[in-house]
Amino acid sequence: MALIELVTVAQALIYASLLSLMGVGVTLLYKTTKVPNFAHASFVTLGGYVNFSLISAFGWTPYLGLPVAFVVVGGESLLLFFLVLEPLRKRKSSVALLMIATLAWHIAILGVLGAYADALQTLLRVPTRNVVLSYLDFSVGPLPGIFFVSITVTVVAAVALYFAIERTTIGIALRASMENQNLAESVGINTTRMLGIAWFLAAGLAGVAGALLPMWTQLNTSSGDTLIAAMFCVSIVGGLETLYGAFAGGLILALAQIVGTTLLANSVGVWVTGYEPVVPLLLMCIVLMTNPKGVGGMKFWKRFK
Amino acid sequence: MNGIFEGILLFGLELLAYIAIYLIVNEGLNIQLGITGVTQFGLVLYVSGGAFTAGYLATRLGVWIFHINSRGLDFISGNIILTTEVNSFTQSQPLDGIALLFIVIIAAAVVGALLGVISSVPAINLRSDYLGITLLAFGEILNVFGTAYTPLIGGPPGVIVPDVWAWAGGSRFVASTLTLMVLAAIAYLFIEYVVRTPLGRTFRAIRDNEVAAQSLGKNLPRCRLEAIVIGSVLASIGGALFVLYAGSVTPSFTRYTWTFIPWLMLLLGGIGSNVGVLVGTASWFTIYDLILYYKFALQGILPFDVVWLNYIVLGVVVMLILIFRPQGLIPEKPLRTGAEKRKK
Repeated sequence: MALIELVTVAQALIYASLLSLMGVGVTLLYKTTKVPNFAHASFVTLGGYVNFSLISAFGWTPYLGLPVAFVVVGGESLLLFFLVLEPLRKRKSSVALLMIATLAWHIAILGVLGAYADALQTLLRVPTRNVVLSYLDFSVGPLPGIFFVSITVTVVAAVALYFAIERTTIGIALRASMENQNLAESVGINTTRMLGIAWFLAAGLAGVAGALLPMWTQLNTSSGDTLIAAMFCVSIVGGLETLYGAFAGGLILALAQIVGTTLLANSVGVWVTGYEPVVPLLLMCIVLMTNPKGVGGMKFWKRFK
Repeated sequence: MNGIFEGILLFGLELLAYIAIYLIVNEGLNIQLGITGVTQFGLVLYVSGGAFTAGYLATRLGVWIFHINSRGLDFISGNIILTTEVNSFTQSQPLDGIALLFIVIIAAAVVGALLGVISSVPAINLRSDYLGITLLAFGEILNVFGTAYTPLIGGPPGVIVPDVWAWAGGSRFVASTLTLMVLAAIAYLFIEYVVRTPLGRTFRAIRDNEVAAQSLGKNLPRCRLEAIVIGSVLASIGGALFVLYAGSVTPSFTRYTWTFIPWLMLLLGGIGSNVGVLVGTASWFTIYDLILYYKFALQGILPFDVVWLNYIVLGVVVMLILIFRPQGLIPEKPLRTGAEKRKK
């Protein structure tokens, strides 16, 4: 018997892709708006329910809903940014108040989604809690379709993000607004619009990750809440100041949480699995105490520049 | 007629009891967030810590204090039998009941202090937003232990705890509410006192200008840690009292109820103002009862569970306060010092 089965590694890689998609948004928003965005949890849950609604109400095939989830969730984040965060930023509110504003937004969206899920349940007569859609998935040999789709989506997103930010004019303007907002404004960049673009992209990626969630595991109105600690862990392990670090962070956390817990469960006992949610927190604490800049902020990378 | 009056009385007593419990927790948040400016998003950690301490210790302590023969019964599977036996003792001996209450409070305070240190050590030296993220991540973690480790509080079904006010008989709710109100008043006066000490002035200096405080030789991480520990002790005591008052505990302490709602109350009253905490807590419960009242009127008309309206309304209320009245109902006023009074 192999020490660790291929299926477990595949699970870890799916989880890593989803986490990276969420974490990269957290980092992007932190870098642009300087606020740890707790509403990311609601982005993920909303994405999941958009995809689920399209599948259950209109019979769409599972992966067709991804662009719709991207746009809808991106739109939600624009509402949050322009209705709530911009007025607060204009009156120079402290980071603590911006953070509680994102948490308040998350709570309100949680209520809307809960009401929506209830209404959908009475309307369509399908269960809208603990949704699992993996039976709709295709499979290649022992591996489910979500394995290929999630990894493809993540790689495409990473490459597209890289080119959009490093190679296009808008990307340069975006980076300028991240580095120094006042200076960017003085050369004629509309920083508010740039931040809006960043919010749309970041939230859209989280929405896509959420849309993929029911294909892999259960979708609940509390899905985002359960994942929020993991999202921030990914972002911190990768480095809150380095955008692409989130992809490394996602991989590290997924390996630690899924492969690590499975190895421990095999050697120590099955009871270990009950403590699995502690892993992101532990990893986050270790990184913060030893290397707060995260993997992406290590001096090691400077050699390649 | 008598029955209606008793119903209103019980309703009022329960309202006062919950205001008292939340006031203790909120004073904990106030010293951290309002006075020192710590971005405390993990308040639920300390509340659940105190609650689980009460759930774990209360019956065990009762059995030990009253020399009850446990007859080999487990504290989890025999929870109801043993707790009933402890209750038969607290029914007849008021002093023992009160002693049990205070031992549990002290234990919860110790646990709260420990949790305060553990949760803030990883990020206390970093910028405040890192600290906020870490505290948020810590928040609901004790629920994982409460669920997975059954000897603590019996896993998801939870355990019941002895009634430390059983001696009051029919006026149990009067006695418990009075006790809670006295404790809440002590917590309120304690924070009022702390704010006036040199330590409290240091806390506010750090909140208002980190660099200036540092240039005067104040050790930022150390002061923040002190504020967090004071606050977490209070929050933890609040959690323990919540469990003792309600009579049972389950591992289901959520970020919404014990972090977001206290923040909401503080924002409502005015961050940093101690009177504001009192006003905010009381007015929140008034709003909540109004929501409760209209909610049931809407039940059946709306195609969804009206519980979701709470989330929507409260989320929107917080955003509106933040945008239109960030100073709250009672804005913080500068403290009058002795020197200032002499000048006049």
